[in-house]
Amino acid sequence: MPLSVSLSIEGDTTVIELTGELDAKTAPDFHQTIEKAAGHGTSTVEIRMAGVGYMASAGLRSLVFAQQKVANNVTIKVVGAIEPVSRTIRTAGLDRSIVLSDE
Amino acid sequence: MTTVTDMAELARSSSLLEVPATVGALGDIAAFVLRLAGRAGLGKGATYRIRLAVDELATNIVMHGYRCGDGRITVRGRSGPGGVQITIEDAAPAFDPVEGRLPPAPGVPPEDRRIGGLGIHLALTSVDEFSYAHRDGRNISTLTVKAEETDRCPPRP
Repeated sequence: MPLSVSLSIEGDTTVIELTGELDAKTAPDFHQTIEKAAGHGTSTVEIRMAGVGYMASAGLRSLVFAQQKVANNVTIKVVGAIEPVSRTIRTAGLDRSIVLSDE
Repeated sequence: MTTVTDMAELARSSSLLEVPATVGALGDIAAFVLRLAGRAGLGKGATYRIRLAVDELATNIVMHGYRCGDGRITVRGRSGPGGVQITIEDAAPAFDPVEGRLPPAPGVPPEDRRIGGLGIHLALTSVDEFSYAHRDGRNISTLTVKAEETDRCPPRP
């Protein structure tokens, strides 16, 4: 099932907006975008996930990849994730290093 | 209280899906599971949990069982008012998911963890019942999610 990924810069924030389903098939598209985002050098990478209806552990791997790609002082925010998606992130313990936010 | 036995009695009809063990087939497996969940009238939460569990195990079979080589995955499903039961079979080397799970380790930074084992952990904590057998050279995992909306995967305190 498809995933659409868009990348933009708003001030000092790189915004990645995801819509669709994030699984083993679609996560490589997210990976590619993360690589581009990491190169922008902004202080925050904001991943908007309100449009993601499903996320498997492949999506967690992408978030870990994002943490590895950005500099230590860059904040990664996941914004608007639906409850099962944010629960998956918390189950993996990634909420200790990624900021989970409703908006 | 609904038991698996009750559910089996309620679910007279079963469905079967056989797909090549490829990442591309994961969508077919998801659609199969969602159809069964719909037929059972599962709520949103339970539907999400059974889909996630089957997806994680199937992804693991593709990536690590067959190591992206040739192979097939057989998925059987039964649904009834009590819930959904899915059996996943493959002929990859023997792998017991219960042995291969990797719960989040408090002392290990997330970026240093094996996410694959975490996927199995997600699968096992998403279902109400799980069993594994290795018979005739085949891995057979059986997953059950009951119709009741119970949160089997609560967030870390």
